[in-house]
Amino acid sequence: MRAKDIGLASCHTCGLLQQLPPSGHAHCPRCHSPVHLRTPNSIQLTWALLISAIIAYLPANLYPVMTVTSLGQSQSDTIMSGVIYLLLHGDWPLALIVFVASVLVPLLKMVALLYLLFSVQRHSPMRKSQRTRLYRVIELVGRWSMVDIFVVSLLAALVQAGSLATIEPGVGAIAFTSVVILTMLAAMSFDPRLIWDHEEAHRDIT
Amino acid sequence: MSLPHPASVSRGELTACHECDALQALPALRPGQSASCRVCGAKLLRYPAGGLNRPIALYITAFILLLLSNSFPFLTLEIQGRQEVTTIVGASRALYNAGMGELAVAVFMTSILAPTLLIASSLYVLLAARFRLPLPLARVALSWISHLEPWGMLDVFMLGVLVAFVKLGNMATMHTGLSLYAFCGLIAVSAAATAAFEPRLLWRRLGRRRT
Repeated sequence: MRAKDIGLASCHTCGLLQQLPPSGHAHCPRCHSPVHLRTPNSIQLTWALLISAIIAYLPANLYPVMTVTSLGQSQSDTIMSGVIYLLLHGDWPLALIVFVASVLVPLLKMVALLYLLFSVQRHSPMRKSQRTRLYRVIELVGRWSMVDIFVVSLLAALVQAGSLATIEPGVGAIAFTSVVILTMLAAMSFDPRLIWDHEEAHRDIT
Repeated sequence: MSLPHPASVSRGELTACHECDALQALPALRPGQSASCRVCGAKLLRYPAGGLNRPIALYITAFILLLLSNSFPFLTLEIQGRQEVTTIVGASRALYNAGMGELAVAVFMTSILAPTLLIASSLYVLLAARFRLPLPLARVALSWISHLEPWGMLDVFMLGVLVAFVKLGNMATMHTGLSLYAFCGLIAVSAAATAAFEPRLLWRRLGRRRT
C-alpha cells in the first residue's frame, strides 16, 4: 500500500511518518524540513537540469580540460585524450577507473535519467523495482565523475608557472564540472516515488 | 548514556519508504542491524552498534586528521632540483590563480568545505545529544547533514591524487607529504564514522521542538 493513498508521508530528513494536509505539503513537526507527498514539480525540474547537463556535455568533451606547456610546446588534453594518455603511459587499471568515472558514468547517468523521466511520464507499470534500483545507483556514483577535475587542479597546483612546464586548466573543465553538478542536482530533484504512481492515469503527479 | 532499549527503537513503528512509498512496519532492530524496504530494498533505518560513544570517538579522530591533512605539504614535485609543494587548498588556489574562480569554488567546496562542515556538524550534534547540552542550532546542524553528504568528496579527491601521481610520475619525481598520510587516514575514519552514525536515530532522541 502506498502511503500517499491515505495521505501519509515520511519526512526525508528525520524519517517521521505524518499525516499531510490535503495540499500534500507541510513542514515536519519534528525537524521543520518541508515534507511532500510527492516532490513538487519534480519532473519539470529534473528535465530542466538534465537538458542543461546534456547541453554542457558537448563543450565538456570537445574543449580541452587542460593545456600543458613545456619548452615552448603546448599540448591540450580533453577528457578522452587524458584517458588515452593514461592507457599508454600509466597502467590500464587506472585508465579503466578514470574511463568509467569520467566518460561512462556521466553518459550512462544522463541516459538513465532520460529513461526514468520518459517511463514515469508514460505511466509505465514495467520493472518498477529495477527502475528504483537504477535510480539508487545513479545517486550513488554521480560524484565520482569529479575525479578528472581534481586531477587537473592538482596538476595545475604542482606544475606552476616558472618551472620548466606549466599546466593550465581549460574551458572544458568548467563545462565538465557543470555536467557533474547538474546531473547530481537532476538526480536529487527526481522523486523515485513517482515510479510507483503508474496507476494514476491523469496528471496529478506534480 | 545509550540509545533507547533495542526493542523499542523501531518495533512495529510504521514508515513510508522514501523510494517506493510502500507503507510498512519496521522490524525490531538490534544494534548492528538495519531495516530495508520489503518492496524495493531501499535502506529504511540503520541501528549502528556502539551507541553514541563510537561515532563521537570516530568524528573527533576525523576532525584531528582533517586539521593535520590541511596544515602540512600534501605532495612535493621535483623537477631538475626545483621543488614545488602543494597543499589541499593549493589545488583550488591554482584554479583561482588561473582565472577559473567558479571551478575553484567547486573544488574548494567538495574537497574542503563540505567535508569540514559534515564532520564538524556531526560532532556538534553528537556531543549535544550525548551530554544533553542545550547547544544552539543543533537541530539545524542535524538537518543539514544529509544535504551535505553527497557534496563531500574526499574519496574522489584521493582517486584524483592517485591519477595525478601516475601522470606526473613520468616527467618528475614526486614526494608524499605528511598531509597525504593524514588524508588517507581521514578517508578511512570518516567512512567508519558515517557508518556508526544514523541521524534519524538522533532525531528520535531530540524529539519534537518545544518552542
